Amino acid sequence: MKYSNEIKVGLTIIVAAVIFILGIRYFEDLPLFDSTYDLVAEFDDAGGLIGGNIVRVNGVSVGSVTSVYISETTGKVIVEFHVDPKIPVTEGSHATVGGFDALGVVRMDLTLGPSSSPRIPEGGLVATSATSDLMADMSARAPAMLDSVGRVLEELDGVLVEANTILSTPESDLRRTLAAARGSMSQVEALLAGERDRMVRILANADSLTADLDTAMGEDGEALTSLMGQMETMLATLNEDLERFQATNEQIDTLLRKLNEGEGTLGMLINDPSMYHRMDSTLNGLNALIADFQDNPGRYLKEMKIVDLF
Amino acid sequence: MVPLTPDIIINPISALGRYSQLLFHAFGAVTEVASYRKNLWRQMVKVGLDSLPIVMLAATFSGAVSTVQTSYQLVSPLIPRSIVGAIITSSMILELGAVVTGFILAGRVGARIAAELGTMRVTEQIDALETMGLNSVGYLIVPRVVAGVVMFPVLYIAACFCGIGGGMLIGELGGFVPLEEFIYGAREYFQPFDPIFGIIKSLVFGFLITSISCFKGYYTQGGAEGVGRATTQAAVASCVFLLLADLILAVLLL
Repeated sequence: MKYSNEIKVGLTIIVAAVIFILGIRYFEDLPLFDSTYDLVAEFDDAGGLIGGNIVRVNGVSVGSVTSVYISETTGKVIVEFHVDPKIPVTEGSHATVGGFDALGVVRMDLTLGPSSSPRIPEGGLVATSATSDLMADMSARAPAMLDSVGRVLEELDGVLVEANTILSTPESDLRRTLAAARGSMSQVEALLAGERDRMVRILANADSLTADLDTAMGEDGEALTSLMGQMETMLATLNEDLERFQATNEQIDTLLRKLNEGEGTLGMLINDPSMYHRMDSTLNGLNALIADFQDNPGRYLKEMKIVDLF
Repeated sequence: MVPLTPDIIINPISALGRYSQLLFHAFGAVTEVASYRKNLWRQMVKVGLDSLPIVMLAATFSGAVSTVQTSYQLVSPLIPRSIVGAIITSSMILELGAVVTGFILAGRVGARIAAELGTMRVTEQIDALETMGLNSVGYLIVPRVVAGVVMFPVLYIAACFCGIGGGMLIGELGGFVPLEEFIYGAREYFQPFDPIFGIIKSLVFGFLITSISCFKGYYTQGGAEGVGRATTQAAVASCVFLLLADLILAVLLL
């Protein structure tokens, strides 16, 4: 089918116009067909923000800045921007300008308000907080920083001069100390040189000793392990015995203490002198009685009828 | 009598005068739509639609090559790769889209217009038109210039579309810049005035190329050789004035 030139040209122009409009909307980060949600923010300092810069919510690109201009009445910076209509920009939301002006990557960051609050109406004003321009901050702080760097360098210079003076004075302590250290080092060196052979021998011996030990450990490893096990058991038993011995000891202690304090029969026997005295007097009496009996048996046998006895 | 001023000064001034006179006539004839309406559609197809494939091809390759070369040059870890997208999109919209299309049109359309009108001039067809009472400027020049002014922005849009598309495609397929980063960068630095500036440029370029070519062809002298000279001059002069206009517009509008 042959189309007339008019139709071909007309169609081409329409297609081009559609591509142009959709292309601009696409690169402006606008929805291709939906309407947009336009808002306004008022800043004291735009920080290099220009039309076309991205608007982000929590780091996600949601729209772009339409235009930036100075208000004729208030002198403040008015920033018109649009965001995706699905973003709930509620009352309490606020905008800040972020990014590096020096690198040309300036953007507007939007912090959303509580979701329970009502939405800011189309064309409404979004609150702003002070712009934190990193480069400007750095520029502002630069003089103070340079000043302190200068001071540090001056101090360092002073220290270096002093160190130089100390090092260059022949009678300074540092020089003497260094000389002494050098002398000591040379003595140590001489000593080491003298005892070199011996040290070599000692080291060789130590080496062979450790090698032997290593071999012994390697060969009789199992025997040593079992021996160690047995020793361990033995020690455990000994330990138990010692505990028991200790308990016995304590009991003996208690017993001796009781004996000492004169508790119980045995204690009384040992400690009470009255029994000795009584026994002594009894024995004395018995002695007298026996002597008397020997002397005068009749007195005691008088009443005893021998005949009766038999 | 020996001329007081050399030809090198006189000739351009006289050419400018004749060019202005021709344009003046042309503007005067713009209202005579009936005389050139049919011719206008034909010229629009020849200037616009017939140039579309070569413009799209050239733009696609410029975008793709720019993407590869830009990502080759941007090796600094400090610069994000998305910047490639910003550079390609901005340069296509601001400069390459219009200038690449302009050069192609200067060679393809400018030369054709100059050759057509030059042949008509040397074979006295233009005189015949005048004799028949037709306004030759209105009939021959106005439709060509109007077609250039109307169709050049269309070609510019096609060039931008293909150039950026080519850049995105080669960036993604060749592993230079992922598509998402390319688009992110393009959006980050996009300014709504850029495509408007591109359209203004393409209107000016379209007018310059077609009007200069018409002027060169319309005033052709000296048979077949003259036609050849007019064709060459049309292409060269179109390119030179296109670059000059490019600079002036950039200084004035950016």
